[in-house]
Amino acid sequence: MTSVARGAVRRLAAFAVASEPGNERVALARVAEAVAGTGLAAERLDRLKTAVAEATMNAIEHGNRNRADLPVDIEVTQQGTDVVVTITDQGGLHQAGTGEQPDLARKLAGEQSPRGWGLFLIRNMVDAMDVTTDGTRHTVRLTMATTIPADEGATRENHL
Amino acid sequence: MKTTCEAEVTALPGGAVIRLSGDVDGTAADALTAAYDQAVAEGDPASVVLDFASVGYINSTGIALIVSVLAKARSQRRKVVASGLSAHYREIFDITRLSDFIELFPDLDQAVSQLTEQAS
Repeated sequence: MTSVARGAVRRLAAFAVASEPGNERVALARVAEAVAGTGLAAERLDRLKTAVAEATMNAIEHGNRNRADLPVDIEVTQQGTDVVVTITDQGGLHQAGTGEQPDLARKLAGEQSPRGWGLFLIRNMVDAMDVTTDGTRHTVRLTMATTIPADEGATRENHL
Repeated sequence: MKTTCEAEVTALPGGAVIRLSGDVDGTAADALTAAYDQAVAEGDPASVVLDFASVGYINSTGIALIVSVLAKARSQRRKVVASGLSAHYREIFDITRLSDFIELFPDLDQAVSQLTEQAS
């Protein structure tokens, strides 16, 4: 885990997707588009995309319970040298799956469900993952360090 | 949700290749399971190669499907190897420890070469 850098906050995108299976692909594509130019290296962008897709899937399935009328809200910001993605559902306090650490040997032995990789993947893909809830809204916050501070990125963008 | 995953089975001496294309997610269950069953029915292979060269996306549900295929293959004493994974998905195979149980090859040719050598 890296510490979250302090500095200027720049909103890169804010959007919502309906809680329908498959919309995690929409979310990851729009987040990838939003963070282009932040200096996030390609391999770290792949990691962020996987984390965003998994967190959005959890929000759709476990938070909003596949109710298409409930949105999953996604915001992308650059905060100092970090890209921060928040993914919010309307499910209040909930947890995807059983919370049990996936153990492949146990899964292969039939002692654990083959599923249950989502949170594990998210935690291993990003620099930091934080979860907050206010009773109704449940937010997962994903943080990835980049190489370009927000101020510099904004300046360069203005010159394009 | 419509699946984009397709699976093509090819029999080889001592093994079988399942060439996957599209997305390996929850919608891939039928295609992957049917392909594995077809590979087993056609040649009783000692090894099964899962080729991911034309796969652009694998999610946690897809990982679960791969775990299920691996579990089934192990219960039948078959070896599973994989080829064509991108660097990102090789990393995910490492993190999940799938690579402890599935030998990874950079491409299908190298996987098939080893498989046919073992069969001869």
